Amino acid sequence: MSETFAFDETDRKIVEQLRLNGRATNQQIAQSLNLIASTVSARIRRMEEASLLRVVAVSDFAVHGYNVLIHLAVEVNGRPALEVAEELATFPEVFAAHLVTGRYEISLLLTLRDMDELSPLVTNQLSQVRGVWAMTPAIGLDIIKYGLDTAPISSRRLA
Amino acid sequence: MNRPDLDELDHQLIGILAQDARVSNRKIASDLGVNEGTVRGRIKRLQEERLIAFTALTGLKLEKATNIGFIAVQADMSRAREIARDIAHMPLVKAVMITLGPFNIMATCLYDDLDTLHRLASGRILTMEGVHHVETSLAVRTVKFSNRVVRITELPGDTVE
Repeated sequence: MSETFAFDETDRKIVEQLRLNGRATNQQIAQSLNLIASTVSARIRRMEEASLLRVVAVSDFAVHGYNVLIHLAVEVNGRPALEVAEELATFPEVFAAHLVTGRYEISLLLTLRDMDELSPLVTNQLSQVRGVWAMTPAIGLDIIKYGLDTAPISSRRLA
Repeated sequence: MNRPDLDELDHQLIGILAQDARVSNRKIASDLGVNEGTVRGRIKRLQEERLIAFTALTGLKLEKATNIGFIAVQADMSRAREIARDIAHMPLVKAVMITLGPFNIMATCLYDDLDTLHRLASGRILTMEGVHHVETSLAVRTVKFSNRVVRITELPGDTVE
């Protein structure tokens, strides 16, 4: 990654256009910003190569059949929380895992196709992970909003 | 949630576009062995049904607010939906879910310094009518996360080529 990358106002405007429509052509972006298409294409390539930008399709939970979302607050005992979190993260049903400050150590978001998957997942798998002391669930009733468009580029993997 | 009717071709298309949304319809068509009109039509339908959206993901280096905070809210359950919607409209709030559990609403936000987070959690959310209690925790490490799977609620200005 380039240490000297200078991200200027033109780059920022191009990113703004791409956020609105990632499939706008270079020509369309160029026209709306009073640039020429080759500048737009070079700027996009430069940002992508510096791992500062990815233009992608994001898909709704429904595409993946994730009909049930559960938040699990995990309390850890007798083992470093990071190790526990890394082991929990290996389960495909674990959509997100963060180490957090507060009354519990690990915040997990589970995505399930069906509520029936919850019991075997929790009793046979998650609770068997060494160091898991207690789990407090919150059942997702409705997602009002979900989308973080910023993250370390390298951690992006389609679940 | 609705279960969308998607076939193998739709999933292949989504897989390609999830890697790079700037690949042309012509290239996708030739890679998948279908014609360009089919690709255009499929993409249009997926967008219209809010199953996919095209966006730009930027690295944390480009942003000012780079820390993740979780705000758990205990609120009047009969008003949870309207409160959750109001929270979702606040700047820096990236995710809001209504839950059944110790808290009614769980929000995820990005913040640049603790003062920003404090102003959001205690200044704005805790003072809302119907909100009883707010608990904030800071993400100290992201172990697993995907920003390719989202809830698509609006399509701001999306157009198909």
